[in-house]
Order: sequence, then structure tokens, then C-alpha cells
Amino acid sequence: MTEASEVVSQLQQELRRGVVVLAVLSQMDTASYGYSLIQRLAERGLEIEEGTLYPLMRRLEKQGLLASEWDTSEARPRKYYRLSDLGREVLAQLSAEWFATAAVMRRLLDGETHE
Amino acid sequence: MSSLLERYVQQVGRYLPRHERAEIQAELRSQLQDQLEDRFGAEATEADVTAVLTEMGPPHRVAASYTQERYLIGPTIYPILMMVLRQGWLLVPVIVIFLHLFGLLISGQTASLTNLLLEPLLAALQATLSFSAIVVLIFALYQRFEREFEKEFDPFNPAQLPEVNDPHTVDRAEATGGVAAGTIVMLVLSYFLSVGGLTLRLNPTPGDIIPVPASWMIVLIVSGFGMVIVQLVVLRRNRWNSGLWLTEMILEMVGVICLYFVLYRPLVERFVQSNPALGDIPLAEIIAVISGVLSLLNNGTRLIRLLNTSPRDPVPKAVSTSR
Repeated sequence: MTEASEVVSQLQQELRRGVVVLAVLSQMDTASYGYSLIQRLAERGLEIEEGTLYPLMRRLEKQGLLASEWDTSEARPRKYYRLSDLGREVLAQLSAEWFATAAVMRRLLDGETHE
Repeated sequence: MSSLLERYVQQVGRYLPRHERAEIQAELRSQLQDQLEDRFGAEATEADVTAVLTEMGPPHRVAASYTQERYLIGPTIYPILMMVLRQGWLLVPVIVIFLHLFGLLISGQTASLTNLLLEPLLAALQATLSFSAIVVLIFALYQRFEREFEKEFDPFNPAQLPEVNDPHTVDRAEATGGVAAGTIVMLVLSYFLSVGGLTLRLNPTPGDIIPVPASWMIVLIVSGFGMVIVQLVVLRRNRWNSGLWLTEMILEMVGVICLYFVLYRPLVERFVQSNPALGDIPLAEIIAVISGVLSLLNNGTRLIRLLNTSPRDPVPKAVSTSR
């Protein structure tokens, strides 16, 4: 791995760390269990490791952004998570922040490219 | 034999807090089973399970990702810890070797080469390790109760940044030196307490010990510990205030009183035994009064300066943005 790609890899991780909460919240309007969420995000182009996502969902639940419920009606019990009211409010604010930041970044990066 | 997956879940559980263990284990088990079923169908082989668990990572790392980061000594006080330790690592061996050799000298005993070289070095090593352990323990305690200590910290206000030569400003070298010296003193006093009195020998016989009252020794150790904590709080705040200085001053006065009972009086009594002509002079009392007066003068002057310094405007003045 070259020096540049090593730095890029580290910075990519930092970038992803920042967006992963927003990505998860954006998909939780319908109840999901851990692995189904990993698949859904992967289908939409965001690969998240299991070891990152499972603890994150639990943390978001502790923060009150997700609510959970065990479903024992199937052959195997599963814990389903969904957005709480607080989570919905936070998602709306974070989304607005994201779009504003993305617009600024686009302007900055476009300017950089065309100079 | 239990399944590989179950062994993994059990191992993760070993590193989890008890109150969350069962819940996280159940959830992790279910998530891993979902993953196995999706990737390999209902009949996943042991090799398939191994592949999934390898991707998940070692149990202790998985468990750690479920828990918050906790520190024995956190990044905010770590630099202070290192400053104190470095000072102690320089001072303690020198003091111990000096005291050891001095003790040998005044005892009049003949010393072998081992006594002269090996014992002081071993004693210095032992004392340095003890010093390091006590300092780490004090900092760990501070970290544990940091919120209580820092509860009264004011929110940061740039207007309150100290002026140059402001008496509130902390001399960091002095304060870390105070923590190191305080810890060394506590270490020495604890040793005296364990052997039952004052001595310069590391393995003293009863004849080498000047007995002192243990109760005053304990009070002195406690006041020394209090002074170390005050210095730590001040180092974190980076600023003295009159309350902290007054606490420091009271603890120092308690220390002076204790020193009269555990140091001045026993030493003077021993001195008078060999010089009976000086028996009528209250030497211990004179030393105690002088050290008390000096301490009061030094601390009192600083306290008055702190009290006289007008507090800064707690509310930052609005900055006009118009041009």
C-alpha cells in the first residue's frame, strides 16, 4: 500500500464513521433486525461490518434514538429495532445538516477542481 | 461438545458487564445465526461458522465495541501524571541512596561491599516502584472521582484567562513538584508508620528506631494526601482560587502541628538525651512555632493577594460585528 492510499484509507474510515449513524437512522422507519439492515445498506451501496453495526444499534437505542422489541413468534427470536420519536426528530435535523454540508462540500470541491 | 458459535458467544460474554451480558449475548447469537443462514443456508458447516466468526473478530474486541471506553487514567490528566512520575523517578533513587548510605555512616557499623552497593540500589528500585504505584493510584482515584472534583469548574470564559503574573496562575512545575514531593513524603511516612517510628535504616533493629505517636503520623499522611489532591485539582483547573489556597493552607498548618509530634519533639528528645545541657530549651516548640509562622506568612500573603485580585467579568462582553 502506498503512503497516499494508506492516508486515504484512514481518512475514508473517519468519513464513514461520521455518516454511518445517519445512514442507519435513515433506514429504520420500518422495524429491522441487525443482519437485515446490513443487507439493506449493502444493497444501497454502503457496506458496514457486523462488528460495527450491531454495537452501534445498541448504542443508538441507549441514546433513545431507536426502540427495540424481541420477536419470539418465529423459529428463532430476533430483536427488531425501529426509529423512536426522538430518533425521527434527530434524523430530520441531521439530514438537513447533511444536505447543507454536502452542498458546501460540492461547491468547495468543484471550485478546487476547476481552478 | 458445545457448538463453535455458542463458544464464541460465551467468550464475548466474559468481557461484557454483568448487567448487559445476557441481552447482548442473545442478540449477538441471533445476529450470527441470521448471517450464517443467509450465507450458507440451514446447514452451515463448521468451516462456514469459522469464516463468519473470523470476520467478526476476537471476542474481547467485539465485547469492547459494545462498551464505552473507560480509562484508568484519561488523556486529560495523563500529561500531569507523566510530569509527576518523571520528577519522582529523578528524586526518589537519589534520596533513598543518600539516606541509606547516611544511615550506614551514622550507625557506625562496618559495611560490606554488598551493603554499600547492592542494598542501596535495590532499596532505590523498590522505593521508585512504590512511588510509581502510589502516584498511579492517586491519579486513578482522581480519574474515578473526576466529575465530583470538577463539578465546580466554571464554564470556559476567555475573559477569565489569567493575566501575565496573575497570582491565580498555577506554576505547573511547582504544582507537579508538590504532587511528587507529597507522594514521596507519604511513602516515607508510611514506612515510618510500618516500622513504628523514625529511622534511616531500611531493616532497622528496635535500637535504630525513634518511636513516634502513630495517630499523629496517620493525620500527617492524610493531610499530605489532601494536599496532593488539592495540587491535582489546581493543575487540572490551571488556576488557584482563594478557597483552594485556604484548603492548602489549612492542610499545611495541620501538617506543621503533626510534624511537631512526629518529627520535632522525638528528634529533640533524642538530641537532648546526648546533650542534657540543652534540656531546658524548648527546641521542638521553637522549631514548630518558626515553621508555623513561616508557613502562615507565606500562605497568608498569597491568600491576601488572591482575595484582593478583583474577579473578572464573568460574562464575556458582546463583540460588535458591524464595521
